[in-house]
Amino acid sequence: MITKQLLEHIEGEASVYFDIKDDKVDFATITFPHFRGMESILKGKNALDALVITPRVCGICGHAHLMAAVRAIEDAYKNAGFEIKLTQKAQKIREFTLIMEMIQNHFKWLYMVIIPELVKLISIKLEKTPLKGAYAASLSAKAIAVFGGQWPHSSYMIPGGVTSDPTFIEIMQARSQLEELIKFFEKETLGISLDKFLTLESCKDFNGFSSDLTNLEKGLIETGMHTKGFAKDQFIVLGEHGFTNSSKLKGTRTFGINSKYVSDTDAYSPQEITYAKNALYKNEYYEAGPLGRMLSQSVPLIKNMHRRYKDSAYSRVMARVFEIGYLLEYSKILLDNFDIDEDSVVTVTDIKQISATGIGVVEAPRGPLLHKIELKNGMISQYHITTPTQFNIGSSTPQTPTPVQQAMQGLAKKDALFIFRTFDVCSVCTTH
Amino acid sequence: MSDRIEGVKKLFTSKSARVETNKGDAYYDKLFQTCQARIEELKTQQPINNRLDIGDVLETQGIERRDFLKWASAVTGMLMLPASFTPLVADAALMMNRAPVIWLELQDCAGNSEALLRSDGPKIDEIVLDIISLEFHETLQAASGHQAEKQLEEAIEHFKDKYLLFVEGSVPLGMNGQFGTIGASGETMHDHLVRVAKHSAAVVAVGSCATFGGVPAAAPNPTGAVGVMDVIKGKPLINIPACPANPANMVGVIIHYILTGQVPELDSLLRPKFAFGYRIHDNCERRAHFDAGEYVEEWGDEGAKNNFCLYKMGCKGPMTFNNCSIVRYNEGVNWPIGVGRGCIGCSEPDFWDKYAYERPMADAKIKAPTGGVEKTVDEFGLGLLTAAGIGIGIHAAASAFAGKKEDGGEA
Repeated sequence: MITKQLLEHIEGEASVYFDIKDDKVDFATITFPHFRGMESILKGKNALDALVITPRVCGICGHAHLMAAVRAIEDAYKNAGFEIKLTQKAQKIREFTLIMEMIQNHFKWLYMVIIPELVKLISIKLEKTPLKGAYAASLSAKAIAVFGGQWPHSSYMIPGGVTSDPTFIEIMQARSQLEELIKFFEKETLGISLDKFLTLESCKDFNGFSSDLTNLEKGLIETGMHTKGFAKDQFIVLGEHGFTNSSKLKGTRTFGINSKYVSDTDAYSPQEITYAKNALYKNEYYEAGPLGRMLSQSVPLIKNMHRRYKDSAYSRVMARVFEIGYLLEYSKILLDNFDIDEDSVVTVTDIKQISATGIGVVEAPRGPLLHKIELKNGMISQYHITTPTQFNIGSSTPQTPTPVQQAMQGLAKKDALFIFRTFDVCSVCTTH
Repeated sequence: MSDRIEGVKKLFTSKSARVETNKGDAYYDKLFQTCQARIEELKTQQPINNRLDIGDVLETQGIERRDFLKWASAVTGMLMLPASFTPLVADAALMMNRAPVIWLELQDCAGNSEALLRSDGPKIDEIVLDIISLEFHETLQAASGHQAEKQLEEAIEHFKDKYLLFVEGSVPLGMNGQFGTIGASGETMHDHLVRVAKHSAAVVAVGSCATFGGVPAAAPNPTGAVGVMDVIKGKPLINIPACPANPANMVGVIIHYILTGQVPELDSLLRPKFAFGYRIHDNCERRAHFDAGEYVEEWGDEGAKNNFCLYKMGCKGPMTFNNCSIVRYNEGVNWPIGVGRGCIGCSEPDFWDKYAYERPMADAKIKAPTGGVEKTVDEFGLGLLTAAGIGIGIHAAASAFAGKKEDGGEA
């Protein structure tokens, strides 16, 4: 029998249709019943309007959309023979704010989704403290606002760089927010210093101290999440950044990757209309997000975790928490190496001169985000968006399951629902 | 020159450019008594569902009463009430656990919920999340699936005709509403909204999508999206546009409601005057550069480096009504103009099509709120000027003059 389960406690709304046999999930299909038509809204508008419209695709990773849009336009400039060379400063500002957006997302997901959902399944004491997530997320958002104007929905990136021109005062302001965030992470989440956390090499190291993180870890073990939720054990990282390696991974082995091989198909949804599409790489499904990113960076702890627990729900959750620490450390280095004397923006040719296609790829909190743009005399003739959740939470047939479908298969429904959320679902982005 | 000075004076003292902040002693005395009586009555009521007491929360968080009162006095100012109302506003905040709120997400990006999580003030996250009785919110509540639906039904039943309904996102009417369905029955967003709004005390549309249709309603409006006010009739309705809406204004509306039991004074687009009674431009930090005729002419130029006015780069501040130049975003850290990007006019209807950022306002051929059609900055002649145009024309001329002088100076 097929039963429908609504999933609110995510960003937006989704439904999962479970086909249960012998109390286990035999197969599940996913629908996203909302649609806005962003791609057709962009058609016929000035290319630069994409910089204010696309951040509104998503209220949680709008900044990643802005960056994908600006990169797509800059790529079109390049393909039209007008290559733009960004200054180091502009690149660093863009990366810093992108990282802050990732961090705010991870904190919120941890304290407002994962811990409360895990608490429902475990016996050990793990306190629900959603406000911690809200507090940390607001600190990150403040750091974005220093350079980006506001969050969500900033529009300060333009072809050629960024419009903000920070002085030492802004750098100090961002640094103090970052320091507070690190302090919070150490005190509230980790229970040890960030430096020490980043040197951990094995899951056994979590036994040595007590904190939200170790309680989470114990909870995941108690619920057997280290033996459940296996997906494809193949990952993709597409966005080019200083903090990650774009690559395709089979297990922990890395291969080269090219975003031109990304395609999408209609989702399989026999029960209800869905507006989502599945994303594939060379016609295969891959998992996207922090686990793949951390494996691509050969982080010892995550590699060891993968050796022990493969791509289980445990590894997926712990990698996302680990990535907070990894990114905090990286953003400290970014801020310390700012040359404020450099230009924020370089002069570019008038957009009306540009008739070309371009692709912009970034790593959003949940994985790769792709914007493809086609321009005629600076006007948008085609716009196409592919989001990370389309990779992870596609809905395909039983013969070719997507990562989330595979991860839920053969499990009790309550476990399957938790595992669904370990992928950090974003429905508003997916349907756009 | 003197008529120009008179023109500027007229522009910035005209009714359209300011909001009535002083309604006279008699008015305020009466309002004070009404509020006082309402607060006293609320004090006799029990908090809903054992919600936390803000006094206790402040104490455990180590927030001093003085800081709380400082926040209350800022809110009083924002609501455009005399300072004597500060203790009442503080009391109203303490009564926030007596006002049930139901929050619906329709055709949205969750940006306003995100903004709400980052609302303003000392530990206001606690106020919003723990103190106000948020009876239903799809993303923030713990319950999900069928339990969530049940929770909504119970909240509607239990707080019949008393709850404030906050709506985020537009309402798709195309294809019989099939672009957005909710719940097990596949109810359309339209039907869902109508049903939940039926027994609300008032409806608050939050963000540009819920107010005027927002991004989804931009041409060609593929899903037939409209704002809440196009669907809900016969209920007190408050619009808090902007993308995202400023959380300070959301909290302001709730406090105003608790304080007075009424919706705040609204403009013709149903926006609270305390927040939308004046233009971005009226309080902009770069205003002095506008007045001095100093503009950014190109991204990254000397003007940009010196924080000059962004009007010529497409800033819509002169025709956008909102308080972001005062309240700012993310706990007051910054706002778009602070990073040299200009205002996109996101709290005005249809701004995606009419106000699009990259078109300088002068090329957009939009009707100024004060009447008349804008032309390019330098096209303006004094004779055909609208009120808003006078100042801009003068300053454009001054800018051209300043440019010449500067060139001369450098030679």
